[in-house]
Amino acid sequence: MSLSACSRLVLAAAALWVVGCQGERTQSALHPAGPAAARIATLSWWMIGVFTAVFVLVLVLLAVALLRRTERTMAPPLGKTGFIVGGGIIFPVVVLTPLYIYSLETSAALRMPKDAFTIRVVGHQWWWEVRYPEQDIVTANELHIPAGRAVRLELASADVIHSFWVPELHGKRDMIPGLELEFWIQADKPGVYRGQCAEYCGRQHANMGFYVIALPPDEFDAWVAEKQRIGPLDKAEKTPAGLNIFMKAGCATCHAIRGTPADGKKGPDLTHIGSRRSLGAAKLANTRGHLAGWIGDPQAIKPGVLMPRTFLLADDLMTLVDYLEGLR
Amino acid sequence: MNDAALPSPAEDRQSPAEPAPPVSKEQQERFFETWNEPSGFPGRLATVDNIRIGVQYIVTAFTFFLVAGAFALAMRVQLAVPENTFLGPDVYNRMFTMHGTTMMYLFAVPFMEGLAALFLPFMLGTRDLAYPRLTALSYWVFLFSGLIFYSGFLFDMVADIGWFAYTPLSAPAFAEAGAIDFWLVGLGAAELAGIAAGAELTISILKLRAPGMSLNRLPLYAWAWLATAVMIVFAFTTLFIATVLLELDHAVGTHFFNDAKGGNHLLWQHLFWFFGHPEVYIIFLPATGLVSMIVTASARRIIGYRFIAVAILLTGFLSFGLWVHHMYTTGLPELSLYFFAGASLMIAIASGIQIFAWIGSLWGQRPKWDTPLLYVLGFIFIFVLGGLTGVMVAIVPFDWQVHDSFFLVAHFHYVLIGGAVLPMLAAVHYWAPKLSGRMPSERLGKWGFWLVFLGFNAAFFPMHIMGLYGMPRRVYTYSEGLGLEGYNIVSTVGAFVLAAGFLLFTFNILWSLRWGADAPKNPWGADSLEWSFESAPQVLYPRIPVVTSRHPLWQEQADGGEPPIEPPRQDPDTPAYHRLTEILDHRPTDWRATLVVDAVTAQPQAIARMAGPSYMPLVTATGIMVFTVATIARLYALAGVGVVIAAAGIIAWLWPNRKELDLMRQSTLPQETGLPIFTTGSKSLGWMGMLFLIAVLGWCFSTLVYTYFYLRLYSSEWPQGGVAAPDPLWPACIYLLLVLAAAALGGGWRSFRAGHKGKFQLGLVAACFAATAFLGLHVPHLLSLPFTPQSSAYGSAFFTLSWAVDVAVLVGLGIAATGLLRSWPNDEDWRLLLALHAQIAAHYWCFAAVAAAVAFATLYLSPYVI
Repeated sequence: MSLSACSRLVLAAAALWVVGCQGERTQSALHPAGPAAARIATLSWWMIGVFTAVFVLVLVLLAVALLRRTERTMAPPLGKTGFIVGGGIIFPVVVLTPLYIYSLETSAALRMPKDAFTIRVVGHQWWWEVRYPEQDIVTANELHIPAGRAVRLELASADVIHSFWVPELHGKRDMIPGLELEFWIQADKPGVYRGQCAEYCGRQHANMGFYVIALPPDEFDAWVAEKQRIGPLDKAEKTPAGLNIFMKAGCATCHAIRGTPADGKKGPDLTHIGSRRSLGAAKLANTRGHLAGWIGDPQAIKPGVLMPRTFLLADDLMTLVDYLEGLR
Repeated sequence: MNDAALPSPAEDRQSPAEPAPPVSKEQQERFFETWNEPSGFPGRLATVDNIRIGVQYIVTAFTFFLVAGAFALAMRVQLAVPENTFLGPDVYNRMFTMHGTTMMYLFAVPFMEGLAALFLPFMLGTRDLAYPRLTALSYWVFLFSGLIFYSGFLFDMVADIGWFAYTPLSAPAFAEAGAIDFWLVGLGAAELAGIAAGAELTISILKLRAPGMSLNRLPLYAWAWLATAVMIVFAFTTLFIATVLLELDHAVGTHFFNDAKGGNHLLWQHLFWFFGHPEVYIIFLPATGLVSMIVTASARRIIGYRFIAVAILLTGFLSFGLWVHHMYTTGLPELSLYFFAGASLMIAIASGIQIFAWIGSLWGQRPKWDTPLLYVLGFIFIFVLGGLTGVMVAIVPFDWQVHDSFFLVAHFHYVLIGGAVLPMLAAVHYWAPKLSGRMPSERLGKWGFWLVFLGFNAAFFPMHIMGLYGMPRRVYTYSEGLGLEGYNIVSTVGAFVLAAGFLLFTFNILWSLRWGADAPKNPWGADSLEWSFESAPQVLYPRIPVVTSRHPLWQEQADGGEPPIEPPRQDPDTPAYHRLTEILDHRPTDWRATLVVDAVTAQPQAIARMAGPSYMPLVTATGIMVFTVATIARLYALAGVGVVIAAAGIIAWLWPNRKELDLMRQSTLPQETGLPIFTTGSKSLGWMGMLFLIAVLGWCFSTLVYTYFYLRLYSSEWPQGGVAAPDPLWPACIYLLLVLAAAALGGGWRSFRAGHKGKFQLGLVAACFAATAFLGLHVPHLLSLPFTPQSSAYGSAFFTLSWAVDVAVLVGLGIAATGLLRSWPNDEDWRLLLALHAQIAAHYWCFAAVAAAVAFATLYLSPYVI
């Protein structure tokens, strides 16, 4: 292969990269939004830069080797042994030793900061259970966190191995049944960051996303206060029609709505479903139409999902949707 | 090594006497008749010829490659655009599972093994591989393993758990019953085939070489395989045990991978990656050997031969210290991660040495731009890039981001396609003329190369970026708006260009078989022995060559009349070697044999009989197949039938052929050459094979002991389930029987060497008795224990290790009993005929006693100590 072909390829690759960087990016490790991800991104750019240089250097050597003409007995530069020892041993050692030390330093900086805010996340096939143990809040598929503060994550799994990954905030950590693992994330600024399961966990591994919503501290406190307020079923008030349908259709076998008799454990807690961003673990935006469609036939949207189809009359379905949308 | 004091009549004659008579026409015909392989159906099924089996291996593996490649194209179509519905999640997940499984287990390793079975004897200057029937068995088991994997499609039971089969997704609680069984037993069979090939190749490289081809003259391809074959033993055996444990969970109800009963999911990951990481180098190292051969031929030199050999060994060694870098995200202690990261970086040095030796060899040599060289240059380009991203993923924090993302998919396709498939294509183009006698087209070859090279980079380079942009691997679809659309479409187009390149390459080779130009003896000006004879050979080396240099052919004048590249030289022993090979020219005529040499110096040591065609490898493989299929169907009676068929096949295969033995005894070759025919110790291929079997079984035991202690380490209570640790006193008495058996056989071997047949037989009888008594007492003891394999992971580990002892004892009983049977006839040459069997029995039982002692200490003493 000629040198020009190589350089063309490298240029094409670089162009591809640049074009990509200008596109949308809501799940990118190269666009960090927190201190951990930022450290890793800096390390990444260093490695990308240094190794691109190493790669080009090797290709240049190869090209020169092929294009020169010398005697059969002529040694490469530095002599036969020198070329191999220099290029194959000394060169990697010189490049990799500082890199290794730098990576240790980065690892040390990635240890969890003290007095972090704790959230427990449990992986399920194929959604995320999110618990605030101290605040007594249970939700699913989205983590509200205070911006600018480290969040300690207790990671566990209810079935198979999953992996928690929000690329803009940190790397990933597995959730392994039988083990309790710890991890942490932090968002510098308020915003919405998308995450996704990174360990193959069965049929719908592809559709196991979630959002991390970082709020300014005061808004976060307000959010906590709001979510702690569970609308207890007022004895005097009539049971909402939607809840009756919910109970009759068997939804409560799997789903809980706190403050009501619905206390299923298998599926996501729906106490605040109306205020969530997405349905089906970041599969659909949480709109009225999507919610109705999801209840009617989740299998069409997320084949293999553990929620069965629900057979309801159109009016009942709309009543149920009204009720669920009101759970905010 | 333990050489027997054998009554070899020629031992005192150091040098052969008069020169041998010239080879007569009749002698040649008889020689070829002896080596003639059966043709047609069903005769062909009995073939043991390394050329035929090598070609079968390669063609079968390449067929699997095309199938798995088609899966890849279907997956790329599905991922071309977001939210695509071309394939649903079920089909997609099965496809990526079968793609990875097929590529790793049914294509990459078998293809490499096929190339090695085919060409190593060519390069080493021997007439066949060490155990021709084992080569055949290995092929049949490999073919059957592929058929088992794929027969899942007939029953709509195809695994969707990935090639890595992480528990608990692959454990009984979550995996689809049936599908996982097809996958597990198919994999188990594939590993057996691999281990058999590993034994074969290691011992062939060590013991079957042209006289004078000392270790420092070994072709680099053979060096690469020497390291690889040893790695196969440890890596494949580990995975074999892992698959057995997981299959036990499914079939028997053990709890190795059930966290509710004390099992541990990280145990699977440790065992799997202890195999999985070396696996990558098992594929890659032979490829570097191929590259070294082609670079040598192109550059007319290779610099840093010793550096390359050391780098190969270093890679092999280090590859076993890297497995945890696949587990950085599982929350292991930080310090251990740093250790494995450091070890991973050292691989860069081993690879760097090879890369710079190749570049340095090419420096200024103006090689001809033939297709094989193009593939080698493409290899260097792609592999260096993949190696550098490999260093990146070995860095812990970076890996936390890209682990299980498309960045990894990009990385390992760069390493595996660039590092192994491109050299394979180079090798096929390079060596096909030797087999077919026809040259592939250079023009088509170059077109094929550019399609492969450009298509590959277009398909896989964008995946790096996808991964960094947050696309996890093993997803059947992805959302819009993540910035992934452009990269995915480029990747899909690239995949089709790559596929076109593969097809064009295949077409070129097929075309050349019929229409290619006639191939000269040495079309590439190479240095190694396979280019010394006319293409399309039927029988290898009627006259065994003598080697005096690292580049034997470069001492000869080239076809064009150019002077030799290297001045011819002679060692002090060379004339004697020439006299020896002259005597062995087209001989022995009535039984197959080749020369055994010293592993280091390649001095001739013995004449080894080679087994001829036989249906028994196929029968044995069929028995294994029946066993595995019956296991899938849970028909345990039928599984027993399979075991019986396999055992009968092995015994019939090994049973000495009386007529052949008589010919061997009457042979005058020992007198003429001074080399023995009946041998023991390191001169004997049989003893070397036993050593290998002991290594494999020993590693099985080690893996089971590791499993026991791993479970122990992560358990809050031990023994689990509130049972008391078993009392060691009575088991100690039972296990002592095995020490007695080993002592009896050790004594028997000593009596044998002293010439006391009666005492030798007494030793065999005592050993058989002790072994039978052990089994008779051990089984009731196991049944009397207050726990079962199904009560907890502790019970599972306890019983599995105990069963392993039983299996080892059964094998030993078989060896001792057949020895007794064979010692029965009153034959005056009994010492000649039985020596190897007696030695093997003694050494095997020595191993069995040690293994049993370790098992005993683990099971009965450790709970009291730790």
